[in-house]
Amino acid sequence: MDVKTIASQNIDVDMTPMIDCVFLLMIFFVLVIDLSQKNLEDLILPRAVFQEPDETPPENRPIINVLQNGTVIYNREVAYDPLKHGTDYRPIKQLLIDIRREGLIKKTLTLKGEVIGGKTVMLIDDPILIRADKWTEWHYIGEIMKQCSQPEVAFWKVELALSDKDKETNERNPRKVAK
Amino acid sequence: MNALEASQEEVKPDMTPMIDCVFLMIIFFICIDFKVLESKLPAYLGKDKGSQYFKVEPMEQLSIKIYSDVAGTPEYPPGKTKASINENTLRPYRFVLKGHRVRYEVGPKPLTSIKEVTDELKRIAVAPESQVKDEKTGGRKLMPCVIEAYPGTYYEDVSKIADAAHDAGFQEINFGGGLGPAGQPRR
Repeated sequence: MDVKTIASQNIDVDMTPMIDCVFLLMIFFVLVIDLSQKNLEDLILPRAVFQEPDETPPENRPIINVLQNGTVIYNREVAYDPLKHGTDYRPIKQLLIDIRREGLIKKTLTLKGEVIGGKTVMLIDDPILIRADKWTEWHYIGEIMKQCSQPEVAFWKVELALSDKDKETNERNPRKVAK
Repeated sequence: MNALEASQEEVKPDMTPMIDCVFLMIIFFICIDFKVLESKLPAYLGKDKGSQYFKVEPMEQLSIKIYSDVAGTPEYPPGKTKASINENTLRPYRFVLKGHRVRYEVGPKPLTSIKEVTDELKRIAVAPESQVKDEKTGGRKLMPCVIEAYPGTYYEDVSKIADAAHDAGFQEINFGGGLGPAGQPRR
C-alpha cells in the first residue's frame, strides 16, 4: 500500500468514548456545582401531598434551616442555639434584620408599600423559606414566623418547606400523571 | 485467512460502551433518588404587626387546634445520645420520635385522627355557612383557617393538618405560633 492510497482512505475516528466522557463530566459538574443547594442543611422534611412543588425557587430567596433541637442555621452558620440562648430570641430577630438589610443593599429583596388602616407600611415583597426537620418542635418555627412579622423585619411572605418523600419512612407521594 | 484460522482467533468484544452505559445508568438512578422534590406551603403573615393604632376588622376563621397527647420518645442511632455530634456534619445526630401522639380540635369538635380531621374539614368546606365576604372582590369565599399548635407538637403534626386543609379546599391557611416550648430544649 503506497502513501497515496493511505492518504485517500477515510479515517474513522471513534467518537463514542469522547462523547461518553463529556456526558459524564457534564453530569458530574451539574451535581457538584449545584449552588442552589449550598444553603440547605441535611434535614428530613415532612411529606406533603397537596402542596405546590418548589420547582423554580427564586435565586434571591433567603433560606433559614431549623434543626431538630431548634438550632437556627443560615448560610451554614448557627444564628440561634436554644442551649445557649434559651428563650432569648433576639439572635433570630437580628438575623432577619441582617438578611433584610443585606438584601436591600444588594437589591435582591424589594420593598413594597401597602396601605393598612390608612397608614403606609413597608413590607418585603419577596418570600423567605423556612426549612425544618419533621421532628422540630413547632414553637421554634412559630417563633421565626413571629419575628418575621415584626415591623423592623416585615417578611410577610413565609414559605414552609415540605417534601415529596419522607426520607425517614421512605414513603413517597404517588407520581402525578400529566393531564 | 482460511476458516480454520478465523475460528482459532480470540474474540475480544469491546466492553467500553457497555461500561459507559452502566456508569451513566448508575449516576442517573443515584440522581433520581437524591433529588427529592421539595414543595412549599406559603403562609402569609399579618401585615399589621406592631401597628397597634390601626383599626383591623375582625375576620371569621376556622380554628384548628393541635394538642400533644403523648410526647413520644426520641430514638437516636445506636451508641449515640442527644449530646453526640456527627463529626462529618458537625451537627447533632438526628433522632426518630417514637410513640408521639396528638389530638385535634376543629372548631369546637375534638378529634383523634388525621382522617377524622380531613373528613371534618371537607364537610366544613362545602357548608354554605363557611363562606365569608371577600374584601378584595366583594364576592364570597371560603373562610380562612388558622392552625394553632400547642406546646409539645412538632412540624410534622402541623404539616399534616395543613395538607389536610389544602386537600379540603382551604386556600388561606394561617398559623398561630410561638405558644412556648414543651420543656427543656433538646440537643
